[in-house]
Amino acid sequence: MTTPTDRSDAPRHEAPHASQDDPRVMLDRDLGVFEPVPPYPPRTEREAEFYTLRDGEMFINMGPQHPSTHGVLRVVLKLDGEKVVDLDPVLGYLHRGVEKLCENADYHHVISQVDPLEYVSSLFTEWAPVMAFEQLLDVQVPRRAEYIRVLSGELNRISSHALFLGWMALDLGGLTPILWSFIERDEIVEMLASLTGQRMLFNYFRIGGVNGDLNHDFMSRLGDWMSRATEQIDSGMGLLNENEIFVRRMRGLGTIDTKAALRMCFSGPNLRATGVPFDVRRAHPYSIYPELDFDIPTRTEGDCLARYLLRMDELKQSLRIIDQCLHQMPDGPIMAKMPRLLRPRPGRAYAAVEGPRGQYATYAMSDGTHQPFRMRIHDPSFVHLQAVGLMMPGHLIADTLAVMASLDPIMGGIDK
Amino acid sequence: MTVISRGWDRLTLSGKVIFTLVPLLLALTVGLVAAIAVLGGPLLDVLAANLPIVRFAVAATAILLMTIPTAFLIIYMEMKVIAQMNLRIGPDRVGPFGSLLSVVHGLKVLMKEDFTPTGADSTVFTWAPVVVYLASVMTLLVIPFAPGLYGQDLNIGLLYFFAMAGLGVVGLLMGGWSSYNKYSLLGGLRAAAQVVSYEIPLTLSVVGLILLAGTMSLNQIVLNQAGWFTDWYVFQQPLGALIFFIAATAEANRTPFDLTEADSEIVAGFATEYSGMRFGFFFFAEYVNVFIMSALTVTLFFGGWNAPFAWPFETGLTIDPGSLGIGLILLIAIVPVILTLAFAAPFWIASSRIKGWQALIIGFVLTNLFIVGLLGAWAYVELDWVAGILWFMLKTYVFVFTFVWMRGTLPRVRIDQLMDFAWKWLLPAALLNLFVTAGAIVVLNAIDRVPT
Amino acid sequence: MDRALKNRLEARFADRFSGPIRQRHDQTEMRIGAGDVTQVLTALHDEPEFRFEFLADLAGVDTGTVMQVVYHLWSDTTPDWLRLIADGLSRDDPRAPSATFLWKGAEWMEREAYDMFGIIFEGNRDLRRIYMPPDYTSFPLRKDFYLPDDAARSPGAGVRPMERTHEPRNAPAAATVRRSAV
Repeated sequence: MTTPTDRSDAPRHEAPHASQDDPRVMLDRDLGVFEPVPPYPPRTEREAEFYTLRDGEMFINMGPQHPSTHGVLRVVLKLDGEKVVDLDPVLGYLHRGVEKLCENADYHHVISQVDPLEYVSSLFTEWAPVMAFEQLLDVQVPRRAEYIRVLSGELNRISSHALFLGWMALDLGGLTPILWSFIERDEIVEMLASLTGQRMLFNYFRIGGVNGDLNHDFMSRLGDWMSRATEQIDSGMGLLNENEIFVRRMRGLGTIDTKAALRMCFSGPNLRATGVPFDVRRAHPYSIYPELDFDIPTRTEGDCLARYLLRMDELKQSLRIIDQCLHQMPDGPIMAKMPRLLRPRPGRAYAAVEGPRGQYATYAMSDGTHQPFRMRIHDPSFVHLQAVGLMMPGHLIADTLAVMASLDPIMGGIDK
Repeated sequence: MTVISRGWDRLTLSGKVIFTLVPLLLALTVGLVAAIAVLGGPLLDVLAANLPIVRFAVAATAILLMTIPTAFLIIYMEMKVIAQMNLRIGPDRVGPFGSLLSVVHGLKVLMKEDFTPTGADSTVFTWAPVVVYLASVMTLLVIPFAPGLYGQDLNIGLLYFFAMAGLGVVGLLMGGWSSYNKYSLLGGLRAAAQVVSYEIPLTLSVVGLILLAGTMSLNQIVLNQAGWFTDWYVFQQPLGALIFFIAATAEANRTPFDLTEADSEIVAGFATEYSGMRFGFFFFAEYVNVFIMSALTVTLFFGGWNAPFAWPFETGLTIDPGSLGIGLILLIAIVPVILTLAFAAPFWIASSRIKGWQALIIGFVLTNLFIVGLLGAWAYVELDWVAGILWFMLKTYVFVFTFVWMRGTLPRVRIDQLMDFAWKWLLPAALLNLFVTAGAIVVLNAIDRVPT
Repeated sequence: MDRALKNRLEARFADRFSGPIRQRHDQTEMRIGAGDVTQVLTALHDEPEFRFEFLADLAGVDTGTVMQVVYHLWSDTTPDWLRLIADGLSRDDPRAPSATFLWKGAEWMEREAYDMFGIIFEGNRDLRRIYMPPDYTSFPLRKDFYLPDDAARSPGAGVRPMERTHEPRNAPAAATVRRSAV
């Protein structure tokens, strides 16, 4: 593509031109560097503001291939030395067109299409569409199925938070906590594999219930794990919570206050860490959550440490919920009587669940055929990632990843 | 000629190897013997006349050769120890318990494509790893491994050490700048800032020690710590030792101060654009640095090659084997047999499943172990350098283990927290240590001079 | 299903509705025209009897005949979700006011709606493509877009004058475009 070290000092009068490999990248030889800048002129106000360099500033590209962005995400950082002045995330590297694919899929097929969106917490990505379709079909889900949904969902929440713990520490340099939290996650994932047949993209919920009933293997693994869960989690957390280096790096980092969080449309643990006790399970109860007794932990500082500690508190609450589900589990069918070919009445439905990252919702439109007319998926990580640009200015590069990790983004959901 | 080529073609691979190597080795041996026979006399005279230079050359070569297996060992140790801390197994396929893995890594690194990135300054790019490696390894010249086992006993040994260690900054900056890459530049600048900032507490923390010891010669410092472990300087300079260890961690770019190679932030810092053996050099230099910093800690504060206890008595082993005469041959012939039978007997008696020949084999193996143990004990007692190097390596590897332990446990600090810590905490603490030590020396001297 | 909410909304916004308020399960749905969006959203956000401070979702919809922008809001004054459908955007030149003056977090959701449908949100400071490459020439979620192998050069590109300047080739016939009456 280029001549190797052409180090002549002759003035270069080449106009800025697009690189042959990627027309989106402009090469400006006069600068003497290969800068990632967008095509001139800038198309929007924000682009103009971002891509204009003041004195002493430079761009650095945390490209889609990077040891630590949470998936394929490209972040263009504008730096002043080591301080980040601004940042611009560039998405789309994992865009799979799920919404369009769902429009050409049966209602049952949609469930396996949406699984890979938040691949770490697949059950929640299945739960919201399934609830929306049940509204369109006016189907009453049996109580046992609801209890099983809550049980497996809370297990999935615990495994997702354990993964968050590990990633957060890994981004800060600790090599050990991720492996300890993967012990947790491995046990839960094996449990869910014995229940659903799959370790990760479960494809377990069905419109009208769930796919398979609780079996002996699952119950024995669950009982085994529950007896050890609290101490295992405490030992994993103990490595980090009292670690001076860890706490000092996270305290006061990426602070966001309540008003800004509501303006950024935050939800889930990120919002609760700023002091707003909004949890979809309590604010807009669904399934059998009204019958269960659990607290909504809230913290007020709104920094990375608060988000981390809040997710750890939620872990404990999930354990309580699982305990109650096991005690109150009713008998009965696990699937409502449904026709093979589903043709809901024309209409619209919106269903939201409280996922580990926030409010995960589906807006489904049906036109009377066997395929959804519009399947809109609202993913919380997508909304939260915008706020990184708000929280970063003034901090250092090393903190970019810490802040992003504390918001717990999953690129599958962000890019759909 | 065709006969030879036809004969050659008919050989198998091993045949070809043997028929190449054996004549070559024979030729080499004959040539060497001839050279020694002819030139030997004058050569030995020249060597004897310049003995210090010869000694220096041999010492330098030995040190350079020693760094490679040391680095391999430390890399293996790190992989295994951190794996155990992570409740994993670590390498266990290549070689027994995976011990050959670092050797294989070294070979792999040699076989990788060696390129220079577009726009990089090739000379500087090539020489950066060399500078870093040399700066680390040259410091090994003054470290005393055992009584008499040191490169040079400079009387400014400690000053030389810090001067050489500081040269590594130049190499890091060279690597970061010449890579023509913003990540490398950032990494190189961070590394330079870190190393330079922590050099000051590092050197200041040992000034108190120099005042106490009265010398900068490392050999002399170790000799001052002879005796029981309470004579070690760590008990007289605890704050200095602590500051030194923390600053040494930062100098060696180890966790929690390893942001120059933080792979979760700036891919690989100054070494992003390096591959193959150049990258290998950087990381060899780092692991050798770990060894060196541990060795220096041990030398300065933990007694160097001294044992923790003073050997309480003089050994009077003055047996002259030659005086036994024929009895020596009988001894060498009979003693192993007797020992074999003696060790075999309990096994044969205790279990009826162990047959006679199996018991004899066990006995033989145990005899060998026993004799080796006896020889080792004799060497330990009689040859002071055996004991010295044993204790030195043991203590050094305890500290290497501590470095590895810290890497497995602690997250890393941020650059501004790191600089903060160096300038606002370690530097004042080192100065405090220095003033208190100096004050204590003055006071104690004054007390000693007061006539009682 | 909150009847009180329906009454309050009808009392306040009766003149702006472009269809009746529908309620089903736990959702209340109201339709307005694109021009009224700013005032209605401001009223719903600021007025103390509504206090819809939480924007749950902002979506674009292509019904085959018109385009819509659908907002979902939550307030602690009512147990229902409020669905606000800004209806009647033309398929040739869909424009709607941006909600970023109230919720900065709507910026990326509007970018996504622009990227997928071509809806231009006036007032959004950063209306560029978010998923597709910046030089992509079509809008994937539109009903007259189909999924060939190379979408940028597909016949689906350049269907509308706002996308390309040359004439469209092999555009799907109007009869095969999927429509919905909703």
